Amino acid sequence: MVEDWKSYEPLIIPDIPNLHRIEVYEEHDGYRAFRRILDNPEEWSRTNVTNEVKAANIRGRGGAGFNAGLKWSFMPQPDERPRYLACNGDESEPGTFKDRNIFEFNPHLFIEGALIAAYAMSVDVIYVYIRGEYIDWVRIFEKAVEEAYEKGYLGEDILGTGIDIEMYTTYGAGAYICGEETGMLESLEGKRGYPRIKPPFPAQKGLWGNPTTINNIETLANVPLVINNGADWYQSIGAEDHNGPVLYGISGHVNKPGVYEYPAGMPVEDLIYDVAGGIRGNKELKALIPGGTSTPVLRADQLEGVSMDSNSLRDAGSMMGTAGMVVLDEDTDMVDLLWRITHFFHHESCGQCTPCREGTGWLEKVLLKIKNGEGEIKDLDLLLDMTTQMEGRTICALADAAAWPVRHTINRFRDEFEERCKKSVHAVA
Amino acid sequence: MPEVFIDNERYEFEGDYMALQFILDLGKEVPFFCYHPSMSIPANCRQCMVKAGQYIKDEETGEYELDENGERKIRWFPKMQTSCALKLSDGMVIQTQETSEEAERAQKDTLEFLLINHPLDCPICDQAGECPLQIQTYKYGPEGSRFEVKKVHKPKRVQLGPRVTLDAERCINCTRCVRFAEEISETNQLTIVSRGDKNYPMTAPSETFDDPYSLNTVDICPVGALTSTDFRFKARVWEMNQTPSIDITNGKGCNIDLWTRDNEVLRITPRHNPEVNDYWMPDEGREAFEQFNKNRVSRPSITLDENNQSNTSWNNAVETFAEILEAHDPDQLAVFGTPHASVEENYAFNKFFNLLGASNARFTPHIIPGYGDDFLITDDQAPNTNGCRLINLEETDDTGIQSAVTSAKVVIILSDDLVGRGVLSADDLADRYTISLATNQSDTTEASDLVIPITCVAEHAASYVNIDGRIQRSFPAKETKYTNRRLNLEMSEGRLDRYGTNFDNWVNEEHKIDCLPVWEFLNHLGERIGLEFQYDHSRAIFDEMSDRIDPLKGISYERMDEELGVQLPIEQQEVTQA
Amino acid sequence: MTEQELAFTQDELDEIERIKAKFPTNKAATLRVLWVAQEKYGHVKPEVQNLVADTLDLPRSHVHGVASFYTQYYKEETGTYVLDVCTCLSCQVCGGYDILHHLEDELGIKAGETTEDGMFTIQEVECLGACGYAPMLQVTNGVYANNLTKEKVDKLIENLRKGKKPEFESMVMRQNEKRKKELSQ
Repeated sequence: MVEDWKSYEPLIIPDIPNLHRIEVYEEHDGYRAFRRILDNPEEWSRTNVTNEVKAANIRGRGGAGFNAGLKWSFMPQPDERPRYLACNGDESEPGTFKDRNIFEFNPHLFIEGALIAAYAMSVDVIYVYIRGEYIDWVRIFEKAVEEAYEKGYLGEDILGTGIDIEMYTTYGAGAYICGEETGMLESLEGKRGYPRIKPPFPAQKGLWGNPTTINNIETLANVPLVINNGADWYQSIGAEDHNGPVLYGISGHVNKPGVYEYPAGMPVEDLIYDVAGGIRGNKELKALIPGGTSTPVLRADQLEGVSMDSNSLRDAGSMMGTAGMVVLDEDTDMVDLLWRITHFFHHESCGQCTPCREGTGWLEKVLLKIKNGEGEIKDLDLLLDMTTQMEGRTICALADAAAWPVRHTINRFRDEFEERCKKSVHAVA
Repeated sequence: MPEVFIDNERYEFEGDYMALQFILDLGKEVPFFCYHPSMSIPANCRQCMVKAGQYIKDEETGEYELDENGERKIRWFPKMQTSCALKLSDGMVIQTQETSEEAERAQKDTLEFLLINHPLDCPICDQAGECPLQIQTYKYGPEGSRFEVKKVHKPKRVQLGPRVTLDAERCINCTRCVRFAEEISETNQLTIVSRGDKNYPMTAPSETFDDPYSLNTVDICPVGALTSTDFRFKARVWEMNQTPSIDITNGKGCNIDLWTRDNEVLRITPRHNPEVNDYWMPDEGREAFEQFNKNRVSRPSITLDENNQSNTSWNNAVETFAEILEAHDPDQLAVFGTPHASVEENYAFNKFFNLLGASNARFTPHIIPGYGDDFLITDDQAPNTNGCRLINLEETDDTGIQSAVTSAKVVIILSDDLVGRGVLSADDLADRYTISLATNQSDTTEASDLVIPITCVAEHAASYVNIDGRIQRSFPAKETKYTNRRLNLEMSEGRLDRYGTNFDNWVNEEHKIDCLPVWEFLNHLGERIGLEFQYDHSRAIFDEMSDRIDPLKGISYERMDEELGVQLPIEQQEVTQA
Repeated sequence: MTEQELAFTQDELDEIERIKAKFPTNKAATLRVLWVAQEKYGHVKPEVQNLVADTLDLPRSHVHGVASFYTQYYKEETGTYVLDVCTCLSCQVCGGYDILHHLEDELGIKAGETTEDGMFTIQEVECLGACGYAPMLQVTNGVYANNLTKEKVDKLIENLRKGKKPEFESMVMRQNEKRKKELSQ
């Protein structure tokens, strides 16, 4: 757990006006990490870069929390095939609104991180896939890419090294599933965003059948920090086994919602009461969804001493996810809340595989019944049963993501659900 | 050799294998919907779940690690696996629904999901009786439904194309149809539209599903979502007989099944033959069922005066034919065999006139250049061009046929609409005595003086040599006036055949055509004119051919049945318009 | 509008070429060219989907499948302004439905409908990634209007009727005080 967070100065989005402009970024040591690598190819061989990043243990910020450097090391040896890095800026997990800040306020940090990743994996082309709704941020980010091309950081013969790396920005058109890494690959290939079966993994067969690595935007923005300051320094920030700066998106019933940058492992209570200014209207805290809609909700009484890192949250019965924290006050109607969550997954299920396509709709319909005062106690058990029928049975994790909130919200707020059913028109004594 | 353990049995395997296909090849069963051996594997129905793991091997010794009871240790995969996409590896352990309650449960769970939005309208659904969803629900599904909320509604009775009707509510989104149009027929006419539980297959709005292979999607649809517009509501599948046969509408010789009820062919579906047509056939070949039922020549007929034909008795037909033959020298006869009839028919026909002293029958291939594709549709419009060559009929072009007619007094045509296909005109035949031995009414039979009705491919056992030189054969599927299902052991007998009597309203004698196999007719004719010619069965003809014709040595009906046809050692000839 | 009348201008075709150049296949350009088409026509009804398919030399069914999968493509004609009101999670608990219902009342239509004058379409949408600024809405796949109140919504409608769209609002992190100060100057 992090205690001295009050003195923390943001690293991903530092307080520097106009940092999105490349001259300003360069003035503040921007592209230094990338240049260092290019200037010292022996010290910073592709393998050494990968190993350093692996040692830093940058946990993927897109939700899965996988070690980014380790992921890079899955890429096969270069052969005649083109190699891709696909950067996931789809950011559509409800409660999550962090990556847009990087596009807007420090795009070059991300570009530099992506370049270092591309160098380490001998990647030829970087695709940056941004959700279609973020069209304004796409435009902002495209300007930054243009600047990087003009300065010779991107394109052919980068900074005279003979290395060629292209970066292309593109965007979606409204589909949560395109945030799933292989759904995003399908969307990049211009198709319906149907996640792919694994194996083969993207590192073996990704975009157009070629080796591809997928990283989240924030994850890559951490990379230059590691190269500049070393893995040890990076390890020293945050919690044990979960390091580095994290963009916390705090929303819901707090006085000061927004994105905040602090080390991983922040005490939940400090984030809610100190950073985000406490609960609106001086109400009591009822629950927290710690990392986006699919992470299991925690009751206020489960939050004591919990910090925002994967171990602590796992022990508490939830997950870090995207660190998109949704704070819920005492007046929150958990039945309504859960119904709306299932409505989301029902709307966003791609429909490719059976348990998710059918299960998400069934969950929503039963919860709507309960919400409308027509539920029965047995419906709660049916819902719980369905979650086990969905979990682990599908191509991607959307079904799991839909199942977990149902299971945990009902289990953790069973009284509230039973109460609603008992008042129902179908209630039996 | 690498080994796998399935339901506690050890099997060896070689090469790349997916678990489901391996299990199916063993003759065991795991339920599935979206998997199809000839298409890509989307693993989207999630029905073929099995429990899988790996025996743990000591890396140094290569020996399996044992637990305290001396049993091999297993590392189970954390999730249930879809066996269709599970690649076998050495030491893999698989438990299907037969030995794993978890697998059984997972399969039951998936079926429950598949059924919640399915209309469950089996009583009015054409697929009932041959529906994988229905069958597997009976075998592996839940007993009742816990679904008490509203089903999703989708378009019904959509005319997707000229031959295929869609009921989107029945669809389980297996994407077999879409993959077929992408990967097999390559017309790309189908896609899945919308998202989530609103998904269903569709064409682009301005397009129609007129893929020349569109009806294959009906075959592979595992539910009643895609049905044949023509066959819809015509018959329940359990009322029909299924008889193996050969597509005679082109040169490919697709292996097919004829589906009959009360001696009418009601539909044609492809029969799997990896060497010829895999699981597929062109829509055109399916439409041939009409010609087996309708517009048939039934009872011999004879021209009384200028334009009027009248039915006549078999005796009179034999007598008339004999008198014509007796009145003419063999060199006054123009005898035409045909690529549209079987090898046996052509052989017997040709032999008969050889015995009379005529030279070998002529035939002209029936080719429409550019008609075919690189798949199952061929330029050759006939099923047996290579068969005619095999028995040394004299191949000629249209002009050769015309000049033979010009120099003849009598024209004898075996089952070939030479007038209809433009080789001859009715005028060419006007001044000659023309005898047609035919299955169907045509411009040629109309221009003939004597018409002898003969059996079609659906009524006899006979063989055909396709454009690639493969000989394959048919079985009798429908009775004629002179055959009887109960006596002919080669014929299949369905419930309605077995229990139907003339007093039942589903039995109609009209469906039995008054015709004879060509050899049987020639037996009668030979007897009348004192020719030594007698074949009791096409089998006897084939046996004789296999004795006398080199490429047929050692080939029999039995071999053709066992090996799904036999590739002949004949040079593959480019079939061209002569 | 008949299919014959639909065509991309040379400028649009040039843009499409630039999009195609980013990818090794034409198919990959599908989403982006649908966007180009939607920008031009205001929707991607079937005939527009066909134009996209034909321009990219792709099966029409493919483009139809894609257009129908992604919710930002308008498969039917919409009002001049489409108001996408988020009611998902954070917006739900921060009054997103109040905003939606207020809009419905003000404009006399329900979510999914278009006003008679063809000015506004209201849609209820899933999370737009502005959870800290809830409740919020997006105007015609473009700018975000954050931290909505009923008063703010009324003002927005009034402005839109005058043809005045809201401007892009930079949501600076509270920790970035210098930036904030700069922005406010």
